Amino acid sequence: MSRPAYFDHASTTPVDLRVAAQMGACLTADGSFGNPGSIGHAYGEQARERVESARAQVAAAVGAEPADVIWTSGATEADNLAIFGLGAHAQGRGRHVVTARTEHKAVLDPCRELERRGWEVSYLQPDRRGVIDPDRLAAALRADTVLVSLMHVNNEIGVIQDIAGFAAVCERHGGVRLHVDAAQSVGKCAVDFRACGADLMSLSAHKAYGPKGVGALLVSRRRRVQIEARQFGGGQERGLRSGTLATHQVVGMGAAFAIAAAERESEGWRIEALRERLWRGLARQGGALRNGAPADVVPQILNVSFEDVEGESLLAAVAPEIAVSTGSACASATGESSYVLRALGRGERLAESSLRFSLGRQTTEEDVDRAVSAVGGALARLRRIGGACATTK
Amino acid sequence: MRYNEMTLRYFESAPAAGTLDGPQVATGTAGERQQGAWVQFQIRLETPADGGTRIAAAQFLAFGCPHTIATAAWVAEQAPGGPVSAELPLPVEALRRLFGVPVEKLGRLLVVEDAWRAVIATASARVET
Repeated sequence: MSRPAYFDHASTTPVDLRVAAQMGACLTADGSFGNPGSIGHAYGEQARERVESARAQVAAAVGAEPADVIWTSGATEADNLAIFGLGAHAQGRGRHVVTARTEHKAVLDPCRELERRGWEVSYLQPDRRGVIDPDRLAAALRADTVLVSLMHVNNEIGVIQDIAGFAAVCERHGGVRLHVDAAQSVGKCAVDFRACGADLMSLSAHKAYGPKGVGALLVSRRRRVQIEARQFGGGQERGLRSGTLATHQVVGMGAAFAIAAAERESEGWRIEALRERLWRGLARQGGALRNGAPADVVPQILNVSFEDVEGESLLAAVAPEIAVSTGSACASATGESSYVLRALGRGERLAESSLRFSLGRQTTEEDVDRAVSAVGGALARLRRIGGACATTK
Repeated sequence: MRYNEMTLRYFESAPAAGTLDGPQVATGTAGERQQGAWVQFQIRLETPADGGTRIAAAQFLAFGCPHTIATAAWVAEQAPGGPVSAELPLPVEALRRLFGVPVEKLGRLLVVEDAWRAVIATASARVET
């Protein structure tokens, strides 16, 4: 029996073979296995050169300076370092943060922790397309606001936010610092850290065909952003993130980002065509509602709500054929459906019976047709068992 | 979520899914689609020459999670040939263990039980009249 077709690239991607080859060259005795922090011998210097080369690759891929790049274990650590690190540095000026209800938990949970520590947090709500208007941000800023944390590409529906617009609002408001979670962005849409005016940006390797366990926080030197360290013991990474660097991981991230930047446009056109083929096939099944305006969404993500089926059963029914995520992060037993989809105006049941298809580098037309067939079969069977009569459109 | 073999088998095959027609058919439902679980049972009774009314046929419809569909399918499959009893073929807790249903989803099994009681109540009222 063949493996299910993979439609969960927004969750994680396989490591590109070209990336894996470069990582492998940093692990064994004949490669760059030295500690990049060791000075005075060739092994350390060789590893350090690989690390700095990777730093330059990451910076080039996202329009940053190499000195902006602080290696972390992933985007979650980067988000935590940005929020708590900026918070610790700026708390003398104010203790108010603005974020959105549609952020990833790696941002929401640190914000809730700040609230437990006596901070105030304002949570913006997006419009029905999932977009946050910069004017809405402007209205939420206060005299004691020190940080705005908003994501670039939403992980559930793929909507792209107007980061430059947010940065302009922050600038007009006396230079409130802007942190951007861009974990989903690289390889999916253009990222230009310098031009967009953000102060801090979180990045992840494994969403872009790099390895799990490595990411980066961009801390703009040009904008003189200062944060406080949350981890101590060696003073690596400008003293902001102590610990021996995992050379193979950061080399993998550098290689993955270089490939992603070079192939983004051509890959984007191909994947967008596949996504539209998928949508046309799903729409033919009837009772399929597309979430998020296509013009504002990255090519890789298609989020669809299905009428007259229960979400957990739909996911279970298609699982032998396709690996896909529900629009909701919950089991139906908890009854908590996706806030992102409810913000788009979907009712709780529709929010729960949604699937996120995220396409990627290996996705083929055959995979897409298999997904359409699997979903179509599951919908017909579950609607029949459920006694529903969905109208075929 | 992982499902045990019983749940997968009955969710995927869903024996006895559908409806029954005719004047001798009793229908009972429970739950709400908007609440995430709705179940309908239909049964047809027969009274053989040797007496003792029993269930001749049973069908179900279910909107809900795989556990809801699988347990409703199993109950409907077990029913034909059995007595007109409001009791499920297995108590709810035994059913929960058989299908590996998490405790937090016990409410889904209660919807199945309520639907079964409803169809038996309807059928019993007809027998008495």
